[in-house]
Amino acid sequence: MTDSHPSVAVIATATTQLERETTRSLEEMIFDTTRAALAGACLTIDDIDAVVVSGNDETDGRVISIMAASGPSGGVGRDLTMTASSGDHALVYGWMRVLAGQSRRVLVVGWSKPSEGVDPDHAELVEAEPYLLRNVGMNHTAAAALQASLLQDAPTGDGPVVAWPLTHGDLPVRGDTVHALVLAAEGSFEPGIEQAWLLDCGWATGAYELGQRDLADFAPLRASLDQMAARGIAPEPGAWDAAEIGADSEPSVRAVADLLGLPSRAVVNASGSLADVITAPHVQGLTRMVSAIGRIAEGAASVAGGIGFHGFAGQGATVAVFAAQKGAHA
Amino acid sequence: MNHVGIAGFGQTKAVTTRSDVTFPELVREGVDLALAAANMTMDQVDAVVYPLAPDALIGVNNGERWVVDAIGATGKPFMRVNNGGATGMSAVLTAWTHIASGLFDVVLVAGADRVSESGSAQSVLNKMWDVGYERTVPLNTITMLAMSAQRYMQLYDSDEVDMALVSEKNRYHASLNPYAHLQSSITVAEVLASRTLAWPIKLGDACPSSTGAAGVVMVSERYAKEHGVEVAWVRGLGQNSETLFMGDRVGPKHVGDHADADALAVAFERAYRQAGIVDPFAQIDVAEVYAPFSSVELHVVEAAGFAPKGGAPQALREGKFRLGATEGPVVNPSGGTQCTNPIAVTGTIRVGEAANQVLGRAGAIQVDGARVAVASAIGGDHQFYSTMVLSTDLEEI
Amino acid sequence: MTTIAAPAFYEQTWDLSYRHALGETTSRFLAGLAEGKILGRVTEEGRVIVPPRAFDDRTHTPTGDWVEVGNEGVVEMFTIVAEPFRGLPDPPYALAYVLLDGADTALVGYVKGIDLSDPAAAAGKLKQARAVVRFADEPTGTAADYWFELA
Repeated sequence: MTDSHPSVAVIATATTQLERETTRSLEEMIFDTTRAALAGACLTIDDIDAVVVSGNDETDGRVISIMAASGPSGGVGRDLTMTASSGDHALVYGWMRVLAGQSRRVLVVGWSKPSEGVDPDHAELVEAEPYLLRNVGMNHTAAAALQASLLQDAPTGDGPVVAWPLTHGDLPVRGDTVHALVLAAEGSFEPGIEQAWLLDCGWATGAYELGQRDLADFAPLRASLDQMAARGIAPEPGAWDAAEIGADSEPSVRAVADLLGLPSRAVVNASGSLADVITAPHVQGLTRMVSAIGRIAEGAASVAGGIGFHGFAGQGATVAVFAAQKGAHA
Repeated sequence: MNHVGIAGFGQTKAVTTRSDVTFPELVREGVDLALAAANMTMDQVDAVVYPLAPDALIGVNNGERWVVDAIGATGKPFMRVNNGGATGMSAVLTAWTHIASGLFDVVLVAGADRVSESGSAQSVLNKMWDVGYERTVPLNTITMLAMSAQRYMQLYDSDEVDMALVSEKNRYHASLNPYAHLQSSITVAEVLASRTLAWPIKLGDACPSSTGAAGVVMVSERYAKEHGVEVAWVRGLGQNSETLFMGDRVGPKHVGDHADADALAVAFERAYRQAGIVDPFAQIDVAEVYAPFSSVELHVVEAAGFAPKGGAPQALREGKFRLGATEGPVVNPSGGTQCTNPIAVTGTIRVGEAANQVLGRAGAIQVDGARVAVASAIGGDHQFYSTMVLSTDLEEI
Repeated sequence: MTTIAAPAFYEQTWDLSYRHALGETTSRFLAGLAEGKILGRVTEEGRVIVPPRAFDDRTHTPTGDWVEVGNEGVVEMFTIVAEPFRGLPDPPYALAYVLLDGADTALVGYVKGIDLSDPAAAAGKLKQARAVVRFADEPTGTAADYWFELA
């Protein structure tokens, strides 16, 4: 970035992922994960000048969930914002705050605790507008199946068919998830502690009506990639070493990988398939972004892209490009 | 320093219900009005920040995804902010960051709400509080503010007449504002005689449940200069939060009394410092401050530095803060949140009204010569605070 | 002191049904109600937080020791609800935050047993009044197991 816009690094991450948390409240999970992230970078909350959080009210059973999350996320006494459209957007907004020079070190916390709900599918159902879509029982799995039906003619995954053509093995495993990250401006941390540099982000939301989109086209993803290509700061996917893709099904992961035009050396979802990595729809992209950061931090990749989707059949997409070096150019 | 300006503000006339439009259509109205005010089209908008507080009030989870097409934002960078009641303004602050980051030149913040149509708003809002401790008692926005008002009266030897003075002022202002929901003036006696909701809050002290849409278009300094766009400049902004637990706001070890708005004062201070404001009472011409009930405006005015703690009632009795006042800022010339409250965009309306004032576009409620304005919003159980200072030019304030 | 209770779930219906994990801290407070006790936890700075949480949101640090606070205290703030709201109890009723002896933060609850027919008069009685905690004879394991009455 130019002199007036600092380079941004991820200097801490912590994750809690489990199928079902019964002994801790959601607030306690958020507190523990946030503390772990800060401690991992030898920071306390006093080193943070802004907090950006993201959760979904209906999944967690809290109305205006920023309220209960304010304490455990370290937001009390601080500038705190909730970007509720997707956990991925918390990362994006936190990044923009540092770019803008508005904050030096931002804590980003995204979560989803589906075990709070007796029927998490029902929480997803109320994402459907009440006039037509709710009657057909739309939820993320059904929407993912609609998308997959355009990508392949027959089931290919492991296990029984859940929603044709998707099998159990094609679908993300859902569980209670909290991610906490610290984004920091170059100069605000000891050089060398960075886990990865965040070079650029692109994001876009497409049409709500499933019938108005070509679900196989991934237009919001293309728009996100185009934004970054126009800026020319981050390497394009053709130069990535790794891609972590939080799509709604394995067929979609494959289709996205094809669309990206990755080099043959690139590894897709090295952190695990959708069935292996516990996450939940609200944070499924953030989970993959954290995995991409991990690939960089481990030295397994020099440039890694994290991709997330939100809404039915990927109505929205978010891409974040991480690198071992700041200001790497394509 | 990449300055950011507000190029235009649009709002619908707020009412109780709008049975003539669907929710997405209502949102569209707000978008169109904002773009028209800025003399721009959706093609020129680079990104959208959408304000939406509880989904439960419109009945669709992640309702922002439902309206993206109505907004005309399909395919654009789009994100939603939910800071409770402060949302409309937190979204504006988020949009400011979009532009100040250097990534975007034109960002739209527009949305709508239809609070009365949920039918069980207060029951829904009861679920804001702690799961284990605070759901079995009927905490809601009315009881939480009633307790704050009661405590203010107790600490500062104030009474319901002081609250009624705020109502009388705001309803007078709103009677001049063609967009306000409540447009009839009210006397102090009428306020005192009105039905009690939760003591000491009476109907005459409380905001309506409004249906309305609003939006602002924000542009970068570079864009404004290249295209000759007249803007209200953002000179400072601030956000702060306090504890969820209202019980922590009393007792000898509290840091912010529930009677006061100390955390809001910190947010104001952050904005003032950036803007170079050291004497708010003297330097600010107009304040559009979020106060859904009359009692709230008392401590907000104090948090803004316009009166000492407990001093707002006396200032009101002296005729301050009213359109036509000879010294100090005019507070809520639009009638404020007390007269118009479509929750998701109420904070946006504060910014828009303040912008209109410094742009000289406020019509019947214009404060003569307004050059510096401050806007503020409150969310959660008096928990989240956003503030913004605007001015006509970029000269020293 | 009570022993640590097994994790409890609070059932609530809001168009959607939830079974909220309470965590050990909230769970223990609720179990304490069944024994006629109000429990708090101490923060790093020495604040006794009632009701207790596992962390102090002021300092972003874990809380520590458990303490039992008094069952009597002062009404710090209150309201008297007159307006009915869908899904909430029939009015009139009084709510208050009471700072119990030994606690640094106040606990919310109904105040029962007051004549609320004249709200202004009732307000006069409630302001800074001494109040006592009463406990339900048949505890449900929820915050409905306690309320306040004027001393």
